[in-house]
Order: sequence, then structure tokens, then C-alpha cells
Amino acid sequence: MRAMYLANYFVAGCIASSFLGWIASLHPMAFRAVLCLLAAMAIAWGLSWLLDFSLSKLLNISVADLQALLIGGLGMLLIGLGVFLCT
Amino acid sequence: MHLKLFVLSVASVVLWLAPLVVLDKRLDIHKALQGVSLTAAIACAVTAGNIARELSEQGEIEEIKARAITADVVDEIATSAYIFQQQRQQEAEQILSGQPEREEAVEALKRAWLLDCNEPSEPVTEPLNQPNDNALTVDEERFTNLNLTKNQAIELIQKMRSELNQTQTIEKLWECKKGGSEAWKRAYAQFKSLMEEGG
Repeated sequence: MRAMYLANYFVAGCIASSFLGWIASLHPMAFRAVLCLLAAMAIAWGLSWLLDFSLSKLLNISVADLQALLIGGLGMLLIGLGVFLCT
Repeated sequence: MHLKLFVLSVASVVLWLAPLVVLDKRLDIHKALQGVSLTAAIACAVTAGNIARELSEQGEIEEIKARAITADVVDEIATSAYIFQQQRQQEAEQILSGQPEREEAVEALKRAWLLDCNEPSEPVTEPLNQPNDNALTVDEERFTNLNLTKNQAIELIQKMRSELNQTQTIEKLWECKKGGSEAWKRAYAQFKSLMEEGG
């Protein structure tokens, strides 16, 4: 059941990424806004990898869990945007 | 709950993929439908995730309960085994330390065995609740036809009085009919004295 709820949240993240792509396709300004958002997320993602030990203490989770979250987040973004762009 | 979880999970995936594949992104109406569908898909996926998380937490609680019960049982067994071992050890120490006492005990057991072996071949029919001649007690007065002691009689009468009236109680215990007979008078007198003493 734990795998089930993790899978559902993962699918929710993928759909949210597709939704982000859908918003970007509405208007050029929206596209830029989404690009800025993605750039900010990329910076935050890289910083999280660099500061994983500090962040894990701050969030009270283990470093392995934090790294799993970061990889999962990247996977959700890639799958969601990939599905939106390829269809 | 499981069915709801399954339906929501499938619905989220269908609502995510179907509009993107089927509908045309260049048409405004299709684009709007895609947005609505994606929003609904996110809602379904999050709801399904929440349900699955609740079920997972319940499962974990049940597992913890089962583990606690198992640990209790194991602890109880270990404790009883330890107590049994200690008792056996104490008995062994007593036997080893008290050799003369042991011999006395063996003699006593032998005597008891011989007494048991000399019992009559046919059991003698004896009335119930007869006074014990071997006990070091003073003979006390007996009541009712069941040959009860005073306390036994009072206790029995108090139990019977919750269901029977006075006459019925006397008739049952002393086995006599109400009237002017000598047995009834004696029974009634005994009953009265017991009631006065029993409160």
C-alpha cells in the first residue's frame, strides 16, 4: 500500500508537470513565466544536491530520503513535460 | 475503499493521457478541455494518494499491534519458564539440604500408602455432609434433613429465600408439610433460630 500511495503522488507530480506545459502553451508570456519557474526549480534542485546534509537536518529527514525526493521530482518533471511535448 | 482507490488511480491516468493524445492542441475548445481534464486528473491522483496513505498507516498500526501482542506472549512464556525453573531449583536445593526431612517425608508417604491400601473393598453408603470424626472439632448442632452446619444452613436458606417463601423453604429443606405435626414444629423452630442468628 505504501508503494501505491507513492505511485499516486508520483503520477500527480507528472500530471502537474504536464499542466505546467499546458499553461506554457497558452501564451508567450506564460511560456516565459514557466521557463523562469523551471529555471528557478533547476537552481533549487542543484543547490539541494549540494546542501543535502544541511537540508536533511532542516527538514528532519534522512539524506537518502532527500536524494530520493530530488530524483523523484526530476523524474516527474521530465515524464510530465515529455508526455505533453510528445503528444 | 480499495475499489475507490483503484478507480481514482485509473481515472487520474486516463484523464491525464487521453485528452493529450486525442484532442488537438490548436483548437481552443480542445485546449480548454485539456486544461480541465488535467486539473481533474491532478485532483484524482492526490485523492487516491491520500487514501492509499491512510490505508498504509492503518496497516502499519495493525502490524505494530500484532508485533506488540507477540512480544507480550513471548515475554509471558519466558517469565513463566523462569519462575518454573526457579521453583524446580528451590525444590532441588531443599531436597539436597534436608536429607533427614526427606526420609521423614518418605516414611510419611509410606504410611499413607499403607493406609490407602487397607481401605474396604466395598464402599459403605454414607449420608452426605456427615461430621468428620478425624477432625479436631467439637461436635456442633446439625440442621435440616441435609445435616448441614449452622453456617451452611443459614447460607442455603438465604439463597433459597430469594426464590421461595418461608413455608416453601422449610418444606424443601426439612422435607415436611406445613401443619400441626411435630416435624413441622421442630423445623419451624430451627428455621426461626437460624433466621435470628443469620440476620
